[in-house]
Formats: sequence, structure tokens, C-alpha cells
Amino acid sequence: MDNNHISSLFDKDLNKLNNNLLSLGNTALDQFDKCINNFGTQDIDKIEKVINSDKILDDLDDKVQKLGFEIIALRAPQAADLRRIIVALKVATIFERIGDYSRNISNRTKLLIELNYSDLPGVNIGKMGQKTQTMFEDVLEAYMNEDDKLAVKVRNSDFKVDKLHTEYYLEIISSMQRNKNFAPTGAHLLFIAKNIERVADYVTDIAEQVYFLVNGSVLSDHRPKADETSLKVPD
Amino acid sequence: MINEENDFRKLDLTVGDVFSKDARLKARNVNVFYGNNKAIDNVTIDIGNKEVISFIGPSGCGKSTFLRCFNRMNDTIDTCRVEGKITLEDENIYDRKIDVVPLRARIGMVFQKPNPFPKSIYDNVAYGPRIHGLCENKDHLDGIVEQSLKRAGLWEEVNDRLLSAGTGLSGGQQQRLCIARAIAVSPEVILMDEPCSALDPIATAKIEELIHELGNEYSIVIVTHSMQQAARVSKRTAYFHLGKLIEVGKTKNIFTRPKHSQTEAYISGKIG
Repeated sequence: MDNNHISSLFDKDLNKLNNNLLSLGNTALDQFDKCINNFGTQDIDKIEKVINSDKILDDLDDKVQKLGFEIIALRAPQAADLRRIIVALKVATIFERIGDYSRNISNRTKLLIELNYSDLPGVNIGKMGQKTQTMFEDVLEAYMNEDDKLAVKVRNSDFKVDKLHTEYYLEIISSMQRNKNFAPTGAHLLFIAKNIERVADYVTDIAEQVYFLVNGSVLSDHRPKADETSLKVPD
Repeated sequence: MINEENDFRKLDLTVGDVFSKDARLKARNVNVFYGNNKAIDNVTIDIGNKEVISFIGPSGCGKSTFLRCFNRMNDTIDTCRVEGKITLEDENIYDRKIDVVPLRARIGMVFQKPNPFPKSIYDNVAYGPRIHGLCENKDHLDGIVEQSLKRAGLWEEVNDRLLSAGTGLSGGQQQRLCIARAIAVSPEVILMDEPCSALDPIATAKIEELIHELGNEYSIVIVTHSMQQAARVSKRTAYFHLGKLIEVGKTKNIFTRPKHSQTEAYISGKIG
């Protein structure tokens, strides 16, 4: 981050804001990674840990919101500084929301263990999770390095997660149609898949914020999308 | 949200914590009159040790009048009368035994317009230590001048022309020279009356950074019309209106959630 204000206090505040945001982002990524791994391993202790750690994200988000608010009130930031603070406030809220999705996935994974269905169709959950994790790691890197090209690449790769989500959705609906006993499990799987797809959407939002941070303009071209679950009735 | 119950205007009290645990200057029930006109109305406040505090408020609110009470600059105005008590390290500065010349060395002042003496850069800084007998010999005085200019962030810019006229420097440099002159006599408090109003934004930013650094050693009281300057430089802010101290508190609280409706109105640009 380019920090060369005459006011060393301003630099100190901006660095603190940036560090808090990165800490929030890394924690959100860690929580998401864990909830995806826990879906595979079904380790109840680890699942509980993710559920109980959500407060950490809430507290970090509060810190970013409070400091950003104070910097705007006390330092009247301009140009790139103003963009940095507005972006930090928006992105912090997104990280916190991703944490909520990780917690929700963990809660549902816990219920799936209780439902004890023998043959979980989980392949695409793993694939979606891995793709989203990679997008998440890349967007954090793009933010840290102010790399707008990487941000655009992340944003345009979301359609791969959309595609997997559509496939998985159709597979689960089909299984539910064939076997009514599978319906409770299937419903949770649909939500888990949807939550991962939403996390990927949030990551694209962060990528667009990184682009705005670097360029001061919004990405106006059409983002490739492939989520058809709300557009067609399953066969 | 200000409502009937917590509308402090009706209670006629200063809102916020006027007292400081580590007070260097204490003002108690201070009233200032110009003839029959009351310019300051029953103000009580502490100035903490190594604290930067800003006085803000609309023109004519009395902030500069109150600032000048701290080193008895108002004594020079015939019609001015100060009531109440002001102490520096628990010593009443309005006591008859107090000599104002050493008092003004202990409580230095920087004015709105840079006012270097028509002397060399060196002599501007050396003037105070010389008249207050603070230097043992020439080497000692040289050291004081160098240290003062360094603390004022001016040494690098002037060390090769110390014998040039102080008045030949730029506005921002002249103001830093005046700050160097003030700190050369090792004051305990520095009063600043609109120290950046005659300076451009870059020179202003340099002075503000200097205030931040000096705040680690001295108590600094700044009167400013610029609310943003108060927000940037001070840890505590006091809002004056029509001679009354309306609210005082941590700067971040004053500018994000003031308690008094008048403070809220002023910092939001609704009264002036």
C-alpha cells in the first residue's frame, strides 16, 4: 500500500484499517476452507469449532467499520484514500457475510450427520468449494497487491461455480424425485450448494471492489453467469 | 439523538469531561470582560500534560480570548478584565507576585501570522534563551538553536543559512521558525492561535505533523477555525459558543457522536 502522507497519523490509521481488513479476510477464508473440508470429513468437533468462531469475524468487522467511520470523520480522505476506506467498509461487510454462510454450511453439515443418509452425492460440493476457495485466495491477493487484472480474472471465473451448482441442483432434485426419503437430506444439500454459490458471488463482488479501488471506476461489462437453477424447471 | 431531557442548553452546563487526571493547566469559573461586555462566561476546563487540545467555535465565540488568558496576553488590553482562577502546575498565574515574562516562557505562543523578528534565523531562535538566561556559553546556545530547529522540522532546510534573515523564509518555514523560537525556552505549554490560517495545504500539513510530534513533549492548545484541522491534530476538542464552553471531549467522539445539539449543528455546518 502506497503510504506517504505528510501526516504520519493518517498513514498509521490507514495501515491499521488495511491490516484489520486483511485479518478479517484471512479469517473468513480460513473459516470457509474449514467448513468445506468438514463437509468431507464430517468431524463434529471441527464443525462445532467453525460454528463457534463466527463471533471472531463479527468483532473484526466491527473494528473495521468503527475505524473507517472515524477516519472519514476525522481525516476527510480524498481520491484513492477515500476509495480505500469506502471499499474497506464494503468488503468487510462481505467478509462477515461469507462467515455467516460458512456457519450455515457447518450447521447443515451437522444436521446431515444426524440424518445419517448412507450415500451422499457430494462430489460437486467439493469441486464448488475448491473453485470458490481458489477464487477467494486470488481475490485476497488482488486486494493486497492492488492487482486489477487478477481481480477481473476472479470475477470472470464465477461462471464455473455457477455451472457446477446448476449440475448439482439438477442431480439432487432428480434424486429427491426418485427417493422421497432422501428429501430432508437433499434439501440441506441444496442449501449448502446454494450457500457456496453465494460465497463465490460475494467473492466476485470483492473483485469488483478491488477494480474500483485501483481504477476509480466500476466494471461495466457483462459478467459471465451460468446459474440456471432459477431459470428452468428440472426435467 | 438530542431530546428535551438531554438538551443541555436548558441546563446551562458544559457537556463532557472538562477535568483531566493529569492536568497541567486548570481554568476554574473563568469570566472575561471587555469593558461591560462579557466575552467568556464561567468556563472551567483542564489542559492535560502532553495533550493536544483544540478550541473550536464560530467567530466571536471567545476561543481566542480564552486562549490568551493562559499566558496573560489579555493584560495588554486596557479594557479587559479576567475573573476566576487559572493555575499552571497548581500556581495561580494571575497572582500579583507572578512575573509575566517568565510565565510567557513557560507558556509559549504561536500566532496566526508568522511573526519572525527582523533578525537572522539563528537570532530568532537564540533570542529567548538569551533574555531568559538559559544558555551557559556560545556552544550551549548553538546546541539549543540546533535542537529547537530540529524539533520544529526546519533544521534540514536552513542549517546552511542560519545567518540569513528569518523574514526571507517562506510562510510555512517562518511559522516553523516561530515554533522553534517558542520551544527554544523549553516551555511547558504551547498556545497556537490559528497557526495555519496563512499557510497553503502542504505547509499546513507539515505544521500539523509537527504539532503531533510536539504533543509527545508539550501540552498544546490550538485555536482553529478549521474543524478538519481540529479533527486531524487534537486528541481532545472543546466547542465554544457565545462565550460559553458548550462541550468538551475526545476528538473522535466530538466529530462522530457529539452529545450537545449545538456542537452537532456547528460541526455539521448548520450554524456559524
